[in-house]
Amino acid sequence: MTELELQLLGLGRELELPVAPDLAPAVLARIEGRPFPWRRAAALAFAVIVVAIGAAFAVPQARTTILRWFHLGGATIERVETLPPAVERSQAGGLGRPLSRGEAERALGYRLELPPLKGGEPRHVYVLGDSLATVILRAYGHRALLSEFSSFGPRLLKKLALDKTVIEPVQVDGREGLWLKGGPHTLRYFNRSLGVQEQTVLIHGNVLLWLDGTLTLRLEGKLTKAQALSIARAVR
Amino acid sequence: MVDRPLDESELVERARRGDLRAWETIVRTHQGIAFRTAYLLSGNAGDAEEAAQDGFVKAYRALGRFRRGAPLRPWLLRIVANEARNRRRSAGRRERLALRAAAEDRPGDAVPSPEAALLAGEERERLLTAVNRLSDDHRDAVACRYFLDLSEEETAAALGVRRGTVKSRLARALERLREELEA
Repeated sequence: MTELELQLLGLGRELELPVAPDLAPAVLARIEGRPFPWRRAAALAFAVIVVAIGAAFAVPQARTTILRWFHLGGATIERVETLPPAVERSQAGGLGRPLSRGEAERALGYRLELPPLKGGEPRHVYVLGDSLATVILRAYGHRALLSEFSSFGPRLLKKLALDKTVIEPVQVDGREGLWLKGGPHTLRYFNRSLGVQEQTVLIHGNVLLWLDGTLTLRLEGKLTKAQALSIARAVR
Repeated sequence: MVDRPLDESELVERARRGDLRAWETIVRTHQGIAFRTAYLLSGNAGDAEEAAQDGFVKAYRALGRFRRGAPLRPWLLRIVANEARNRRRSAGRRERLALRAAAEDRPGDAVPSPEAALLAGEERERLLTAVNRLSDDHRDAVACRYFLDLSEEETAAALGVRRGTVKSRLARALERLREELEA
């Protein structure tokens, strides 16, 4: 091999290449032809997150009866009696592809709102499909996920919650929000660009949901309400 | 009795018979190189993800046409790369390749002097600029063969051309690069 060829091999190792996502779940889902109930809605160009919240809840028989509904901007919350099956997930798992902030904003078509970060910019913004952005934060000694998406179109975010879960209306500097506390969560997301992809994962932590203009924001982590609200107020 | 991992031909046979767990293992084995190939050919991470995913779905459905005993990776790369090239044609643009913002220290690396590091960095930038100026055909050949370290056979599969065409494209690309670097 010539010197130039060796230099090119070395250059390949220095290139900025995005981390390869785990393609297997989406590939298998498409091969199996699993039903995608949101496919039509997804064609309207949106991503949907379904978060089910709850803990073990004794019921006479297995069922998922919807008991009550809440709405917040692009989000819907349903109270249910049982959770869907879920798998454990690492915090960065299933969040999408890691991009720089600039790349993410170009892909999403809107400016991300973030709290002041040590070092100025997040190392990665994880983008799922082309609608949902997530940044991993460290605050109050915990890792937390800040996710956001533009709330255009029909319901973008849907949550399921058990009766044991506290769902409390809150205000984030005058903006409407909801605080959800208690029990593990399951997260299901749908990805418009992949023809709607669904995955259910188990999350341990509380969630603050709030609106800012056309954005719906979601902060997830082992945070108290006061801590979550403090972070939310700093998001600009 | 001790379980042993299935080799690739066994996984392919199982996948042919509809064993999705076998195909999952194959996807996880090859998704890294498939995604990087798609990225270098499409020039966009989102397109690369879609191309790689579509490629694995199409490959599964085409397993009946896969020649038994043939190496799987070039066949997969051909399908994924075809998807990536289609997306690039549709988009009509590609992002330029860039170097990592800061080279990461590798264990065992000697620490270069600041001057040597600067010089090496400038040389890499110059070489990358020259690669970015190549025609798409030449750049793709260089990217697959050298940046991804694919074999000539795999490069030919990824580019959808014959091995001889890869050789001639690489020879011309290297010649252009030498001319540019010596200018």
